Amino acid sequence: MIIDLDKCVGCHACSIACRAEWEVPTGKDSSDRERRRNWVKRLGPSKTPHGLASTYYPGLCNHCDKPACVEVCPADKVDVTFTDPKSGAKKTMQVAATWKDPFNGTVQIDKERCLGCGACADACPYNARYVNEEGEAPKADKCTFCVERVAQGLEPACVQTCLARARIFGDLSDPNSEVAKYVKKGAVRLESSKVKIGPNVRYYGNKRDMHLLTTTSTPKSMPQANLRRTLMAQILKSTARQAKSLGLLGLAGALAVKGLRDDEGKTE
Amino acid sequence: MALDLTRRKFLQTASVAAATATVSGYFANRAAAATPFVRKPFTAPGSFADAKTVVGGVCEMCFWRCHLVGKVRDGKLVKLEGNPKSIDNGAAICARGNAGVKLLYDPDRLKYPMKNMGKRGAPEWKRISWDEALNECATRLKAVSEKYGPQAIAMFPHGASATYPMGFFEKVVGTPNISEASFFQCRGIRDTAYVATLDTPPDENVDMANAKAILLLGGHFGENVHVSHVKRYLKGLENGAKLIVVDPRFSASAAKAHIWVKIKPGTDAAFLLAIMNHMVKTGKYNKAYVTANGVGFDKFTAGIAHATPEWAAKICDVPAKQIKEVAALLAANAPNVSIHPGRHVSWYGNDFQRERALACLTGLLGAIGVKGGFVKPKGPKVGKAGGWPAVNEENAEHHALHKMAKKYPFSPPGTPTDLIREAAITGKPYPIKAFVAWGQNPIQTIPDQAMTIKMLQQMDFVMVCDIMPTDITMFADILLPETSYLERYDLVKPGTQWDLSGKQQQYVSARLPLVAMTTADHERKDPVWITNELAKRMGFEKHIPVKSQEEKTEKILAGANLSIEQLIKEDGIHIQDGVEPYGKALKVNFFSQELADAGFPGVPTYTPVPEPPKGFARLVYGRAPVHTFNRSQNNVWLHNEMPENPVWLNDESAKKMGLKDGDRVGLVNQDGIKSRTTTVVKVTPGIRKDAVYMAHGYGTMNPAMTVAVGKGIDDQGLITKAAVDPETGAHGMRSCFVKFINKDGKVLNIPA
Repeated sequence: MIIDLDKCVGCHACSIACRAEWEVPTGKDSSDRERRRNWVKRLGPSKTPHGLASTYYPGLCNHCDKPACVEVCPADKVDVTFTDPKSGAKKTMQVAATWKDPFNGTVQIDKERCLGCGACADACPYNARYVNEEGEAPKADKCTFCVERVAQGLEPACVQTCLARARIFGDLSDPNSEVAKYVKKGAVRLESSKVKIGPNVRYYGNKRDMHLLTTTSTPKSMPQANLRRTLMAQILKSTARQAKSLGLLGLAGALAVKGLRDDEGKTE
Repeated sequence: MALDLTRRKFLQTASVAAATATVSGYFANRAAAATPFVRKPFTAPGSFADAKTVVGGVCEMCFWRCHLVGKVRDGKLVKLEGNPKSIDNGAAICARGNAGVKLLYDPDRLKYPMKNMGKRGAPEWKRISWDEALNECATRLKAVSEKYGPQAIAMFPHGASATYPMGFFEKVVGTPNISEASFFQCRGIRDTAYVATLDTPPDENVDMANAKAILLLGGHFGENVHVSHVKRYLKGLENGAKLIVVDPRFSASAAKAHIWVKIKPGTDAAFLLAIMNHMVKTGKYNKAYVTANGVGFDKFTAGIAHATPEWAAKICDVPAKQIKEVAALLAANAPNVSIHPGRHVSWYGNDFQRERALACLTGLLGAIGVKGGFVKPKGPKVGKAGGWPAVNEENAEHHALHKMAKKYPFSPPGTPTDLIREAAITGKPYPIKAFVAWGQNPIQTIPDQAMTIKMLQQMDFVMVCDIMPTDITMFADILLPETSYLERYDLVKPGTQWDLSGKQQQYVSARLPLVAMTTADHERKDPVWITNELAKRMGFEKHIPVKSQEEKTEKILAGANLSIEQLIKEDGIHIQDGVEPYGKALKVNFFSQELADAGFPGVPTYTPVPEPPKGFARLVYGRAPVHTFNRSQNNVWLHNEMPENPVWLNDESAKKMGLKDGDRVGLVNQDGIKSRTTTVVKVTPGIRKDAVYMAHGYGTMNPAMTVAVGKGIDDQGLITKAAVDPETGAHGMRSCFVKFINKDGKVLNIPA
């Protein structure tokens, strides 16, 4: 996804449309993380070397090339087969409750198997994840790039409602796509020397706005692992194992994996 | 004639025809899902999953009124989206539009008719039946009308729901004392000034999408969002239009501007006069247009001859060079220039003349009826219905306070708020003893809250009809709950495609309910039902023009050879061929004899406004993109985006005052009035030292608004001294000055 700050007027429609679409609660989770999949932060007016600037940081999950959230997931790994909607190629991988899709590149969560420990949320340098504690059990939540809507032929909720058409969603691997053209024009990732995990949301704008955005909103360091939470996750996991041995979670897990295969088949 | 502007003329020229209605059997078919939806555990299904798309929504989270569709599952609205068939907003809606779901299901919404058993301002509510509520309203309104005359009833309406009752009170009951916030605290000045100059109210009809240059005076698009309007603006910018933003603050629009004119507040008219004078002196204006269409041009040029860029530079605190640069840029791109008329323009009490200057500048550039200029598109024909007969309008006209006082001849329709309030408090020239608020929250729309409360306290009867428990509801004797824009038949909205240079099309749409008005936990009623029941009880049954909102909608649609059924078949929006909008020139009254005859300057004139006293800065307010004034403050999604309204303070001033970004502060004004609440400081180089800024509408005081109460600062509470515009009687509200109070309670002077 590209966000064109020359067009963005900071109206927050994206953020609210996402909340409506995915029933995202407001406020903070019990670990003080903002409960959101999609946000807009107003920046400035501030002085930059290129003049006075005021712009926005519209943020969401970056579906990174090397997602820090995926590797920390303590859930048991299971075999999942992914299908490339273009070629029909299949690939089976061992994944925990969150993974990066080998074909469409999105990072997804299996809510059935998620332990709700929040390790992934803590690992994200962009604060793009939170734990939704509103349901029967806590579950990590974040932007899915609306793959579910896209599979129905719809635009992501934030893209559809953007009056400025400032959000451009498409396939970076297609050189003729609008997103690829933006990359050629110089759309940038919010990366620093210590945070280089290949975020796939890129920002485009004039010099002063981009200066303001990158200096205020680029993560400077990777989050430190939260020892307490990792321990908690281990405890949770052993509880989950016990449940599984009783055949409770086992059944649900198997169903979810099957469901995923079916869904993947439909995804473009 | 501007002097006798009727409400009808306004409505004709405004792009929205109002209309009205009850939930019918139709509706059951449209919104009810056949089988209950089964959720997967832990995973939100998405709004598209097993949801029905219901068409016919017209938004009223603000008053731009975008086309909506509702995603309805099991009879419950799960999401609102723009109607993809719309040639106005398309599938896009703003943050507020998206958040309409949370208004619909806000647990703090008014549910039942209530009677105040306590005091006005400190209510103790008792639930009563509609019958009891309406009987009491009718009896007490009638008592006031019989004792003092119908003019003793004042009505403060706002929004689509108030149109029908307003007609009843004005034409049938016969009171002139109607104060529309949208006129007297907002755009009325603009409309009458343009009528005096171009003989038509402008709305926001500048063709920005096709402009080569755009001039915004205070316009802050992005912070102020009306979807198709912002689309026009952005398309213009994308096509390379040069943007000039005149604002004391580096607003969202200033951030996209080619030229930011960091003007001293209150001096805008001087700036405009200098631009025009410079164009005239250098011969760089549209001579052909002016010769063909100008009236009183010689008097005009003589009248502004003193306004050199150097003269204005001193007044406006901007370089003369920049004034010349703006003039040159506008002239170079004439006539394809959008001189934006503004929307909320009641600022300083010298506003009519500034608006006149904007209209004259438009004429000087010949930016009328051409691409990029001031162009009024021609919408489709629709019928009329729901108008009340003029039973007692004569009484209203005889008792119009501004006419009796021979003041404010360019007042917009209704009566200037200040005069109503004065009459109520003094009893002169006649008493005003009953007060009806319908959709308006005068506590937060009108300057000087203490005076407004004094007015309310002396009333024999106060009746309020609203959706939410806004601050005015605390002062009601009887409080009536009404349906929202998502649950009722209402207005018919005609219009054209958003980009005037696009394929010429017209649309007819109507507000139809997206969800059934469920009655399990409330007894809300629509405004036509409430008004008709009131009319019956007051003895006016025979004058009732329509039985229901639905009937009204059908009748208006019939005028366009449409019906509700047909409109639904057409996905909620009927589209037909349109007509070319360009090519129509307008006469320009550069000098206005009408104004001169009324004792006002016939040539646009700059009148200085009071300077901030030492240690104070001017309080300037504006819009937040996630709120419509106070109306949306309790919306939990919107509140979450911007829970407070930070007060903008110049960074150099902040340093001297010892304030840091994010510090909590209160404000105190020149009359010693302190803000009831606190907020945070936003320290920025993007504002002048002589002004501070905050978004309007925060700081709700009613504890029944559980989300909004006490959040942010109520700017209106600090606006104790309004500057009344002499031509119109409208309230200028950027007329007050504040100091800061730090967290230790210490009052901090703001350095000059």
